[in-house]
Amino acid sequence: MAGKPMTSNSRMFFKMLWGAVFRRRSRAIMAVVASMVGAATLFCLTAICIAVPQQMNDEMRSYGANLIVTPIETDGHKTGIDDAMVDHTTEMVRAHGTARYATYRYENVRVNAAPYVMAGVDAAQVRDLNHHWSVDGDWPSNGSVLIGRDVADALGADIGSSITIGYRSSDNSASSSSSSSSSSSSASSSDNAQAQSGSSAPSAPSESGHVSSDIMETKGTDFRVAGIVDTGGNEDSIIYATLNDMQKLTGTKRGADVIEYSASATGDDLTKTVTSINDMTSMHVKAQQVTKITSSDTRIITMLQTLFWIVSLVVLVLTLVGVSTTISSIVSQRGYEIGLRKALGASSRSIGLEFYVESAFYGLIGGLIGTAAGYGLAYVLTTVVFGRTLSLNWPLAIGSVVFSALIAVLASIPPVHRANRIDPAVVLREE
Amino acid sequence: MLLELDHISKIYGSLHAVDDLSLTVPEGEWLAIVGSSGSGKTTLMNMIGCMDTPSKGSVSLEGRKLEDLNATQLADVRKNLIGLVFQKFYLVPHLTAVENVMVAQYYHSVVDEKQAMEALDKVGLAERAHHLPGQLSGGEQQRVCIARALINCPKLILADEPTGNLDEKNEKIVLDLFRELHRQGTTIIVVTHDALVASCAEREIMLNHGVLVGEKWNDDAARAAYEAAGGKPASTGSKAEGAQNGDAPVGFEDPTKAAKTGGE
Repeated sequence: MAGKPMTSNSRMFFKMLWGAVFRRRSRAIMAVVASMVGAATLFCLTAICIAVPQQMNDEMRSYGANLIVTPIETDGHKTGIDDAMVDHTTEMVRAHGTARYATYRYENVRVNAAPYVMAGVDAAQVRDLNHHWSVDGDWPSNGSVLIGRDVADALGADIGSSITIGYRSSDNSASSSSSSSSSSSSASSSDNAQAQSGSSAPSAPSESGHVSSDIMETKGTDFRVAGIVDTGGNEDSIIYATLNDMQKLTGTKRGADVIEYSASATGDDLTKTVTSINDMTSMHVKAQQVTKITSSDTRIITMLQTLFWIVSLVVLVLTLVGVSTTISSIVSQRGYEIGLRKALGASSRSIGLEFYVESAFYGLIGGLIGTAAGYGLAYVLTTVVFGRTLSLNWPLAIGSVVFSALIAVLASIPPVHRANRIDPAVVLREE
Repeated sequence: MLLELDHISKIYGSLHAVDDLSLTVPEGEWLAIVGSSGSGKTTLMNMIGCMDTPSKGSVSLEGRKLEDLNATQLADVRKNLIGLVFQKFYLVPHLTAVENVMVAQYYHSVVDEKQAMEALDKVGLAERAHHLPGQLSGGEQQRVCIARALINCPKLILADEPTGNLDEKNEKIVLDLFRELHRQGTTIIVVTHDALVASCAEREIMLNHGVLVGEKWNDDAARAAYEAAGGKPASTGSKAEGAQNGDAPVGFEDPTKAAKTGGE
């Protein structure tokens, strides 16, 4: 149609499209409904497939660290990992995905002359990292501490009671410092024992939370017990205070003994993160995976995702076959129209364009409604069945609409092509 | 000659729907192809209208051999030279009368609603222009079909049983329209088994089981002009009984007319 004034012919094109869509409402509705069902299924299943395992992964990440970083101290002088190095290490971890972290500074302290391990932490960081901790009362703040269940039992302390914590530098000499850092880092997760196997053997706290070398020393600073933590693990033997209180108590400021990371990276990505940190020897830190957490997370998430995708793909294929069959049958019913247009001199290209645009229109409308319905369905499913929220995934929504239009066009290609290939007389005779 | 058929056959397996027919039609002639159902009339019309291809032989329109043309060129011939009128009307059901006429313009060149309305006015349907085919009677639908066939001013109108589904009143309207077109110089080929419709044509040829069995002229002046222009009688190479093989036309009695009049 080159060289034609496009205005009148374009108007005619849209008149024909409008007539086909709005004056053949029952068939148009059938085509739109078919596309709608396809789009709704596609969006709903894909949204769930993407969102639920991702959210479960995020949630599993809040059940403890899957990566720990400890300082390498060569001269026996305990300086820990300073803030700049924490930032740098965190950047490296986040290069492979999102990550939450918490730093721990461990010191040996005395309460009623009995030795305990005290951790100086940022309460918000630790809480964010360890959702599984059962804390009765409050997290530590300046002047108050969070004590492990075993410590509370040994001291007979309760929430609101006061304990006196003493610090002696001799308890934290090089020989004993390994005791605090090793026992405490193992406290951060029972699995860390494996990760920490390279460090010197700890003299772990006994069942009651204190070591046997008690001496009668009761001087110290009074702290209020804000809360009691009960994890069933080594955390129950530790006293948690703010970093600020720790510095006041010890009179020294130094870096962290452990950084715990809960990284979104799993499998090879996590291994790469560990390798990249360990390769940077100038950082004087050592990174290790918490193997149990990492592998079980990966396994569960992989199983879930595989299951979701298999079910979704089967349902999707069935739906798409249904959609394409419906559209194809609707176009086939108009075979005589194709024959008529050919008899009137229409080219195959022109006929194809008209029918494909019409099908794309059905796909587009069905896709829009279906995607909205699919989102609603996915939202209800994730809320009711999985107990999670679902935000609208725009790229997926756009993809779903475009895909619906594409399927509708693809489904109409065979009948249009078939009718186009046959002489118009034959098509009209069949009518 | 506008149309030349040179020994054309259409063969389906062992069935010869059209058997070795030769025919020439000059510009401006009104020809009727008659015969009973299954005689091959519609097959012949489809081959002339570039909607079907002969198994053997050659069809030429305005000197162009159709077998040499590809699908696009055949579509061009259909839209530029031929106007089609069908027994079953074949209107697009979701387009109004005027839109159905405009569809032919759309594929031909430029859509002009005013011109389409004039064509509908010519067939007496201006007031029904914005009705859908389902809201029109059979006669009205056929008139829309004729308006659609006329809209691009074709040189050849091919009509397949144009009055087959119409009552007498509408039949008269349609035949009057054809007469008017013929007066204006349009070549008309009508396929029919109706004696009255056939008798309106200048010339009739008769097919029986795909074989040409007769030819007659209803207008001597037209015959003289045809022969003066070098036109020859239609012929067939078929050896079937009753086939018109020679150089002279074999007259025939219209079977429908004979049946209607009791052979008188």
